[in-house]
Amino acid sequence: MKVTRRDLFVWGAGAAAGLVFTPVPWKLLDDVSIWSQNWPWIPQPPRGPIDFKQSFCALCPQGCGLKVKIAAGWPVGIAGVSTNPITRGVLCPLAFGAHQLNWHPRRVRGVQHKGVPSSWQDAGAAFAKACSEGPVVVIDGQPGRSASTILASFAEKHDGSYHVEMNSETRALVPYESWTGVSAFALGYDLENARTIVSFGAPLLDGWGIPGRFTRLWAERAAGMSDPQLRLIQIEDSLSRTASRAWKWINIRPGSESVLAAGLARALIEEKLVPAHGPMPDITVSDAAAQAGTTEAAIRDLVHTIAERPPVLAIANNHNPEIAALNVVLGAVGAHGGVVRRSKRTGKYIPAEAQIPNARAVLIDSSVLWDFAPESDAEIFRFAAWDGGSQKSDWLLPAPGFLEEVTDVPTAPTSAVETYAIAPQLSKPQFEVQSAAQFLVTIDPTLPTIENVIHSRCGYLLHQRRGTVYGPEVTAVAKFDSAQKLEAELSKASIWIGDPPSPGGLRCELKQWPTEIVSESPQNWASIWNAPVLPPLVTKLYRESTLREAPDRRTA
Amino acid sequence: MSSAVLTDSRWIARGTDRTSFSRFLGWLAPWFAVLALGVYAAFLCLYHGLNQTNMDNRFAFGLWIFLDLGIIALGAGAFFTGFLVYILKRAELRPILNTAVVVGFICYSGAVAILMIDVGQPLRAWFTFWHPNTHSMLTEVTFCISCYLLVLCLEYIPILLRNRQLRKLPSFLVFEHQLHNLVPVLAGIGTFLSFFHQGSLGGLYGVLRGRPFAFRHGFFIWPSTFFLFILSAIATGPSFLMLVTATVEKVTGKQLVPQDVFRRLGFISGILLGIYVAAKSIDTLIWLNFTSPAEGFAPWTYYIHKPFGTPVLFAEIVLFGLLPAFLLLYRKTAARRGWLLSAAALACIGVLMNRFVLTVQTLALPTLPFDDFLTYTPSWQEVASFGGVIAYGVIVYSLSYRYLPLFAQPNGEQ
Amino acid sequence: MSARYGMVIDLDRCTGCGACMMACASENNVPSLPQASACTGLTPMLVRKVSNGLQGSERHEAFIPILCMHCEQDTPCVHVCPQQAVEVDKATGIVMQMPQRCLGCRYCMTACPYHARYFNWWDPAWPKGMEKSLNPGVAPRMRGVVEKCNLCHARLHAAKEKAAAAGKREIDPADYIPACVEACATGAIQFGNLADPKDPIAQESQSPDAFRLLAKLGTQPKIYYKSKEAWVRALAEPNSGPNVEAKHV
Repeated sequence: MKVTRRDLFVWGAGAAAGLVFTPVPWKLLDDVSIWSQNWPWIPQPPRGPIDFKQSFCALCPQGCGLKVKIAAGWPVGIAGVSTNPITRGVLCPLAFGAHQLNWHPRRVRGVQHKGVPSSWQDAGAAFAKACSEGPVVVIDGQPGRSASTILASFAEKHDGSYHVEMNSETRALVPYESWTGVSAFALGYDLENARTIVSFGAPLLDGWGIPGRFTRLWAERAAGMSDPQLRLIQIEDSLSRTASRAWKWINIRPGSESVLAAGLARALIEEKLVPAHGPMPDITVSDAAAQAGTTEAAIRDLVHTIAERPPVLAIANNHNPEIAALNVVLGAVGAHGGVVRRSKRTGKYIPAEAQIPNARAVLIDSSVLWDFAPESDAEIFRFAAWDGGSQKSDWLLPAPGFLEEVTDVPTAPTSAVETYAIAPQLSKPQFEVQSAAQFLVTIDPTLPTIENVIHSRCGYLLHQRRGTVYGPEVTAVAKFDSAQKLEAELSKASIWIGDPPSPGGLRCELKQWPTEIVSESPQNWASIWNAPVLPPLVTKLYRESTLREAPDRRTA
Repeated sequence: MSSAVLTDSRWIARGTDRTSFSRFLGWLAPWFAVLALGVYAAFLCLYHGLNQTNMDNRFAFGLWIFLDLGIIALGAGAFFTGFLVYILKRAELRPILNTAVVVGFICYSGAVAILMIDVGQPLRAWFTFWHPNTHSMLTEVTFCISCYLLVLCLEYIPILLRNRQLRKLPSFLVFEHQLHNLVPVLAGIGTFLSFFHQGSLGGLYGVLRGRPFAFRHGFFIWPSTFFLFILSAIATGPSFLMLVTATVEKVTGKQLVPQDVFRRLGFISGILLGIYVAAKSIDTLIWLNFTSPAEGFAPWTYYIHKPFGTPVLFAEIVLFGLLPAFLLLYRKTAARRGWLLSAAALACIGVLMNRFVLTVQTLALPTLPFDDFLTYTPSWQEVASFGGVIAYGVIVYSLSYRYLPLFAQPNGEQ
Repeated sequence: MSARYGMVIDLDRCTGCGACMMACASENNVPSLPQASACTGLTPMLVRKVSNGLQGSERHEAFIPILCMHCEQDTPCVHVCPQQAVEVDKATGIVMQMPQRCLGCRYCMTACPYHARYFNWWDPAWPKGMEKSLNPGVAPRMRGVVEKCNLCHARLHAAKEKAAAAGKREIDPADYIPACVEACATGAIQFGNLADPKDPIAQESQSPDAFRLLAKLGTQPKIYYKSKEAWVRALAEPNSGPNVEAKHV
């Protein structure tokens, strides 16, 4: 039998028709749909058991409570802790992307000496040698931690000096030091009892203080109300977020905050809205008005509005003695709803910017802002988890990143009560890291470790028998029968909150109106964030929306 | 003929007069270059993704969709001529039938090719057939265009098989003859499918409740743009055929169809264009006064963004609608070839303008009160792909004209 | 019993901090691509700044979080998708986008009047190792598909699993909180079931200060906004309020 072309056609057509009745084409289609669901090179999330753990954020001094979603041992999601009475479940926007920071391309992954890879041994040897040759300065960006105790101890033991970097919020409290004799680190604002808050450009609703504290307070007592329980008056030269949400926005000329504060103080005294024995500014109300870009009548009107609902509290964005003096005139220092003393802490501190003559070496903790550059010829040992670029130090040492070490959280700046918490480690560093404190312990093993210091702090808290621990349950300290139990509870990311401040514990003496000239340094909402890089999702927020203008900050 | 000279004369029908092979290659070469660039641009889009274009989240549709809608409208001459010849028995249009099929084939295959690049996941194109959404105009468009492309292929094949060499194969001859018998049926199916997809392309925009600039009420589930698109397509399809044929006549220097064909096409185009302009004007008035305000959009706000002012609306309906309709129907201008072709060109521009306004201007206009009016410029990859489709069309048409009896008369003369 | 999940967003409380945008991007494994811009980025939650158009001391500004409105009636995107890659989930009212079925034709993006849909113009990419920080509940999408907010459906799923493990039929509302709601610093974004008369947002949505964007289009969005400021409420409809300043994207 001869196979013809016709046969081939017929068989071909028949086979094609028959194929339709087999699973082959349908399975192939099905497979194509599965293959095209996702391509093999698309990164996949980690797979593993999912857990929720709590810790605290150490990327700025506010120390917000974190609820961290963990998958296969890696942090994969961040949220706030609603049971934390201080942070109230709120986080700054940066925190939601912080878990990505540990893989940031600018992560410091190894020791570097003048830009060349080196080792921890070499760094340790160099530092030990430096210590033996001259005084060492230690700079701490987040004082009050257990690590800070170790840094300070080292400096003391080795004839060095311990310097402290202050953020703008604490700096705003510095003027009260000389008038009250109390350290700025022991002062706070009693926002909860204030009924009128006059903010001089402080971004109260956008990156000031503990994120949850004022935003929640404002949301409950003022948002959307024509006659709010808490009156927020924002004095600012532009319509910032806080200004646009405030009860009143007072538009002033840039840089005229101090002169307006003086004008307000004078007007308060002249209008007899406050006792007359306070310090009187020299400037007249009309001069102050002219310089601030407003009118005398407006200032007189404003002081009546301000004084309508006491207690009144003035808040400066940074170190500003005239605004602090306004608080004295308002009677807000040492009063309910004003500037209060929250702790008995005393002691002087040396600011980070202080000159350091003859220093042989400077050790900078990773909590210090990247842009800080000591004026010194000393050998600089810089601890950092991320490289902010424009290298100014001799040694760059990889510090633990986000949630990569056990640390403790001292009271946040601006807080009216003392707080203490222990932040558990929730992520494994992928290379060898050491914090500055751990490094110093290896140099001088007689120093206590961070764990030791935390033990002793818990012992101290128990001994004081004051305050309450807020965790899954609320327990008074007095109810704990051992320091170990207290520490164990705090290690589960509970928070200890001290007793409310007694306003009477602060005496203020100010006779003359201060005349120190201050320059306002521009702040942005992410100013006190100590990492020199932003989480990639924050960069994305700047790039893909018109919501915010990017700060001058290294981007992903 | 010297055997040393490359020639393709055995592929060309006997008795027809075509230019030399080398000249023909010379004509094709630049078009192939444009096609190559277009293919490269398409490859870039498939390989790197649609970030190669300048489309964005606000301009989700761009040059390509405008191109698709435009060439499908212009390619409507294919089904409409078939409808006129086979269903309405207008035999005097027979000379233009083959060219109509080729033009239609080019337009539809080009549109489908562009669509395959325009989607983010071409591998999933078959999902529309597998999980069709009966409410979506795009499902309807997909089905009908795919089926109609198949119909056009079936209509093209007999023309292809009439090539001098291919005719020699008896099986092809038989196949061609059998297909030839099928053609009236195909014409009917084609008319049915085209009616729906031309309309659905209009429906694509008319159903967009979220875009009051485009949204229209209509009849039952079909917005008025459904019917307006059909009308404008069948009105300008014949005009486009006129332009193509006239261009070929000019390039080849021959009279390919009786002059009467042009007049008749012009007349049909003119009548339909006139009806279309009337319908469009009524629709526009209803939209301006009722439909748009009911959705909260005062119509004057659409035209405050330069250069998309009211002159655009005027140009679309009057300058490129009413004017060509008049020229095509007015005895004195309809009698003159120059006027006829100018009017045809105006009509084609009008339909392209209509498609542009509905695709690009709709997306440029803000909907939320705090949105901007945005502009969009296509990237070179988009333009090159567009150019590639045009080049493809010219190449296919040139090959068809050279090797196939596009304009063959019943008595065999060309 | 079927739910109608929706939101009431108090614009007097929104400070425009962007925490909701961050939390959403983190929850949904949205990449930060250097080549993306305001027009081509993926922002399923996007906060827009608006103003009353005046300058100087008369100027007022507000912030509006824009997300998928989960329209209930003639849902534009559901209506137009050629392959049913998006549907309204009858049990929850959530408009569910299935990137795995999406062809990337972008017809839904032209249909959405709120511009709440985003196309993956590029493949997602993260710096080496950062994929370990991705949320396992949500699959990363490849390029060429459309995505949008789906009210953190993965969290609803987790809440259902938790309820099932405890032998319950209904989820505990406290277990299902979308990421943006959880992140909102001032509690401006309230989430709940509009079908439950006892749910606070069911009442809030009927308050005289509440409005929906482009309500006249008739799509019945389930995201309500509320404000005591008349100029903000005027943003509900175009052409009906003072000349508000347009802000790109």
